Amino acid sequence: MSGSLFVDIAFILLALFAVYTGWRVFRTDSMVRASFFLLLSFIAVGAIMLLLSAMYLGVAMFFMMGVEMMVMALFMVMFMMNPAGLNPMMMVHQHKLSIGAGIVSFVILGAMALLATFPDQPLPADLKEVQSLGEELLGDSMLIFESAGVVLLATMIGVVVLSSQRGRFGSAQEGSMPPGLEPGGDPAGMPQEDDDDGGGHHCH
Amino acid sequence: MILDQLIWPLLLVFAALVIGPYCLVVLDGLAARSFGLAQAQSVWISPLSRATWLLKQQTNMTEAPDQWGWRLAPALYLSLAAIGLALVPWSRDWVATDIVTSLVLWGSVEALATVVIFLQGWSANTHLTLIGAYRYVALGLSYILISMFVLIGVALPAESLALTQVVASQEELWNVLRQPLGLPLFLIVGLAITFRGPFNLADSTDLAGGTSADVSGPQRLVWEFARSAMLVAFSGIATTAFLGGWLGPWLPGPLWVALKMLAVLAVLAWLSRVFARITPERCVSLMWVVLLPLSFIDLIWAGVEALL
Repeated sequence: MSGSLFVDIAFILLALFAVYTGWRVFRTDSMVRASFFLLLSFIAVGAIMLLLSAMYLGVAMFFMMGVEMMVMALFMVMFMMNPAGLNPMMMVHQHKLSIGAGIVSFVILGAMALLATFPDQPLPADLKEVQSLGEELLGDSMLIFESAGVVLLATMIGVVVLSSQRGRFGSAQEGSMPPGLEPGGDPAGMPQEDDDDGGGHHCH
Repeated sequence: MILDQLIWPLLLVFAALVIGPYCLVVLDGLAARSFGLAQAQSVWISPLSRATWLLKQQTNMTEAPDQWGWRLAPALYLSLAAIGLALVPWSRDWVATDIVTSLVLWGSVEALATVVIFLQGWSANTHLTLIGAYRYVALGLSYILISMFVLIGVALPAESLALTQVVASQEELWNVLRQPLGLPLFLIVGLAITFRGPFNLADSTDLAGGTSADVSGPQRLVWEFARSAMLVAFSGIATTAFLGGWLGPWLPGPLWVALKMLAVLAVLAWLSRVFARITPERCVSLMWVVLLPLSFIDLIWAGVEALL
């Protein structure tokens, strides 16, 4: 086969790139950079899957990881004390435990790769991989999963409709209060109330 | 064999990548003129003179940008557009990237475009570009879902995820008539992902240029070129998915594809001039409350039709 040397070289290069970017995830100093290095690593793995002629799984990896890593980067920046993800910060913690866990999982996975017997029969040319993957994953529960998917989607749309600005209960901005400048304080930017009766309460 | 499978399709992809954005800018200028907006120069020359002007400008630097992201984002966006164009079948045989899941690969191009646009705004490390980047992500995630449903609707009658099969399934009736909601929704997504016209929110003037606010010189040229090229890729996929691709009487297939792409680009250029930019909040509501349910109706429509 003429293409097999090219496939081998591409496989090795992509595998090295996946490992390198995977390592960079822990060496970089920003949450956003870490997510995008992880994305690069996954893209390389997806391309390897394409080389293994897993056409659907490989391409699905690209779009799933694209959206997933974007959302992850966004949420990490939102919940971390690292505005916008450009301030340098440490990406690793629990050093000894994680080094140990990394070595153990590498040894286990490496042993599996070396010792397991993989099937070597070529697949039939007319194999419908998307269909057979779906049947392998879902089998008889196909209908249940599909209806669950529709219900989930309906829930998502419902949540957005209810929480959108002009929802069932009117505009979300109406009657809302800005937060106080100090905890429990008066709302910021509110018009000054008349304070002529001293007490601050309008009793009469 | 090699001529048909490799050289002609690749040449067509490169031609579309170079000529397409130029045509789009010219069409945009013509649309602007038809609405009475003054153009300083001839619409045919002005894209070229703007390009040379950008090439001659120096490259601005911001304080501590993310060097790799800052330099690579425009090029990555352009290469995503090139991948999109490579998926367009020019005729039954002339397809640069003919894989069984090319429709899904287009979906991943759209998803990765979100990442690249965010990277462009984020890596500059300045306020307005950053706001543009976050604004784009907040909105972009809602466009992609619409696009996915519309494209699944196209895959249903073809019973395949390959774009060549999608075209072949339109022999009797083009998808634009079979699923009337599909093409309008897809074009709206196209305008949104390349942030043009009413959906120009990532690079809009209220953010002083948003994600490209601090980008100048050749880098800016590549970014603007890539934005146009991405819309050209959208028109290519729209032609394939809804307008019957190479199908048509008298003329050879590739010419039909090019003509249909030009027509789609003209419609897009006109649409992006008709409507004013909408505010981000209204855009999110519009996407989730109106367009997403519409795309779902489109999918149910396609499903029922496929069952009948």
